[in-house]
Amino acid sequence: MYKWFLAWRYLHTKLIAFFGVAAVSLCVAMVLVVLSVMGGFLDSVRTRSKGLFGDIVMANATLQGFPMYQEFTDYLLKELPDTVALSTPAINSYGVFRVPATTQTVPTRIMGICLDDYARVTEFGEGLHYERYYPGTTSLEKQQIPVAGHTASGKLELPKELEEANRQWRAAETNPKAIETFDELPYVTVAYPLTDGYSSERMFAEGLGEPGYRNKALPGAILGCDLVFYRNADGRFSRHLARGATVAVTLMPLSTTGNVGGEPPVKLLMRYSDDSHTGIFEVDSLQMYVDFQTLQHKLAMDPQERMDGTMTRARTNQLLIKLKEGVGLNEGKAAIQAAWMEFLVLNAGVLDAYDIRLLGSVRVSTWEDLQRDFIAAVEKEKVLVTSLFGLISMVAVVLVGCIFYMIVEKKTRDIGIVKALGGSARGVAALFVAYAGAVGIVGAILGVFLGCLFVWNVNDIQDLLAQLNPQLRIWSPDVYSFDKIPEVVKQADAVWVGVMAIVASMVGSLVPAILAARVWPVKALRYE
Amino acid sequence: MLKAHNIHKSYKMGPSELRVLRGVGLSAERGEFLVIMGSSGSGKSTLLHILGALDTPDQGSVEFGGRRLFDMPTSLREQFRNREVGFVFQFYHLLPELTVLENVLLPALVKHSFFSWFKNRSDTRRAAAKMLDRVGLLQRVKHRPAELSGGERQRVAIARALINSPSLLLADEPTGNLDASMGADILNLLTELNKDGQTVVMVTHDPVVAKRAHRVVSLHDGEIVEPEMVSSGLLPA
Ligand SMILES: Nc1ncnc2c1ncn2[C@@H]1O[C@H](COP(=O)(O)OP(=O)(O)OP(=O)(O)O)[C@@H](O)[C@H]1O
Ligand SMILES: [Mg+2]
Repeated sequence: MYKWFLAWRYLHTKLIAFFGVAAVSLCVAMVLVVLSVMGGFLDSVRTRSKGLFGDIVMANATLQGFPMYQEFTDYLLKELPDTVALSTPAINSYGVFRVPATTQTVPTRIMGICLDDYARVTEFGEGLHYERYYPGTTSLEKQQIPVAGHTASGKLELPKELEEANRQWRAAETNPKAIETFDELPYVTVAYPLTDGYSSERMFAEGLGEPGYRNKALPGAILGCDLVFYRNADGRFSRHLARGATVAVTLMPLSTTGNVGGEPPVKLLMRYSDDSHTGIFEVDSLQMYVDFQTLQHKLAMDPQERMDGTMTRARTNQLLIKLKEGVGLNEGKAAIQAAWMEFLVLNAGVLDAYDIRLLGSVRVSTWEDLQRDFIAAVEKEKVLVTSLFGLISMVAVVLVGCIFYMIVEKKTRDIGIVKALGGSARGVAALFVAYAGAVGIVGAILGVFLGCLFVWNVNDIQDLLAQLNPQLRIWSPDVYSFDKIPEVVKQADAVWVGVMAIVASMVGSLVPAILAARVWPVKALRYE
Repeated sequence: MLKAHNIHKSYKMGPSELRVLRGVGLSAERGEFLVIMGSSGSGKSTLLHILGALDTPDQGSVEFGGRRLFDMPTSLREQFRNREVGFVFQFYHLLPELTVLENVLLPALVKHSFFSWFKNRSDTRRAAAKMLDRVGLLQRVKHRPAELSGGERQRVAIARALINSPSLLLADEPTGNLDASMGADILNLLTELNKDGQTVVMVTHDPVVAKRAHRVVSLHDGEIVEPEMVSSGLLPA
């Protein structure tokens, strides 16, 4: 019993123990922060990759794409009804994005999607801004600018479809905070030139007269949110486009062989209908989404007449497939792969040489396959960084060793007394190890607490630092792909790091504990 | 009860050897108050430590209640130190971080395992309170050793030595660091304890102190010199 009693007593009467506690807790906090941020980063990569691609992606790594996608979709739904839930094509291309009202031009990745299906296969729908507050109003169809105006009663309102959609959202929203947030959003702006819908921080443009829709109908576009927002020095975003603003993209159509075809450049004028937030910076800062058929046509990927009068087949770049609930990712992939081979054999007769070249290179991948290299790299980085910080934390072990060495030196007489009273060598050693364990426990608890506090507020801390000096913005979204530093501490990580810290401080106390066990009581007791 | 036979102990001092004990033989009976005298450096403390199994002799044996101490395994010897002997030192040797009560409880804490401590806690606390009452320090249980006078500290040390009701009390110059009146207090306390049946073996070089004993032996040149002086003859029959 005396071991526990003395360990406890020394813990809270000896000031020096607090240095040990401080060292342990700082190391625990440091390792926990690194582990949580890297782990959170890794998890974000995982969930967001999945959200981005759906379960299975078929693609052939070309810009000209591959044909027969519609036929294969039908074939899949017929042959694998228990495996495949839904399949939707998507076109990937590149262009130059432009806001005519400003001088903004940026390179962009333009994606043609069938909005409804795409939102069902991926988690695309969850990141849409207007769709959230005005459900059912985001579309890639031709549309005019929605304009707020004064009703007969003199109230400033949006067109009634939008007002109605917003009422529905308010009624359905269970989180009062969300409604509060929305009410704080800048709503309309007064009398900006309607031709371009350029605005500042406002969601809608305001016109003179009644609420309604103005200007020419143009195809809708959904923009990556970083194309619409710009980040202030203090980390806040401000919006610079209102819904309906005219945006333009210049495209580069490719023929089946990959040559630039048609009469370039092809220009597409659109109306900004919504913005998408996936949380992945490369996507949010580059990508825009337009209607599949519109883009297919503009890129000449729809059936075209050849010189000999035959028609080319419609092409897509990707086929995104959602599996039925409960179907394993790799199991689904294998089934689809097999179906694809069968499908190619069945259709071998109707394909021409160009089709076969494009189809031959189509790969079936899971979202994990697509992100494997990246995920593996992040995993390695996590292990590496955590080990590095773990190594640095060895300092704590040495420090605990030093502190306990000092304690044993100072307490030689007391150790002698305890031994004279019948304490065994092993018991005395255990006393110091228990003491170190207690230091470790207190340090670990404190460290976990500190680490959690830091991780939970890491983005606020960074914003605070950036306000003092923009150079202090450590997390760069374009480097780490995510616009926020992960803020989650996993319980398992906390427990693991805490236990390691306790073990480490006990290991650190081993040498002093052995020295204490070797104290020869007679020598220790002889003098005052 | 206690029998030492032909104890040798020497210390290496560089190339030469300092032979402190050269064949000491000694015995103490139950209920006896035995004093070991000798000049400074004669080896009294060394002998006492060996009698209490704190130190090991180079040669010779110590028997306690028929068992040879230095043939026992270490763990039994530790148990012997904890339960059968109580030590009182010249410099008190209390733990400064602990209160008076905790210092007294320390041997009991050593005796009990974690669980048996909680089982016996109230009994042990009562015993400690009784001991502290006996030495007249019941009012000071919450104090730290630094807040006590030398005499009070030595009384705490005596209470601590007796908490596990040992059959043998070994005192190494318990009054050596105290002025005459405080020393007398301590001696009275030891005499009283002895009257109640406690076997006491005490080391001193002060002939006045030695007068309290039933029997006095002297250590001279590493050997016990025959009893040169027997006190009032109160040796139990
Ligand atoms: N660890 C040691 N190494 C070397 N010599 C020692 C050691 N311990 C004791 N001695 C020597 O042994 C001799 C006996 O010491 P001891 O302490 O037993 O004497 P003592 O009779 O108790 O003296 P005092 O009356 O001063 O307490 C002394 O000369 C001392 O210097
Ligand atoms: Mg001495």
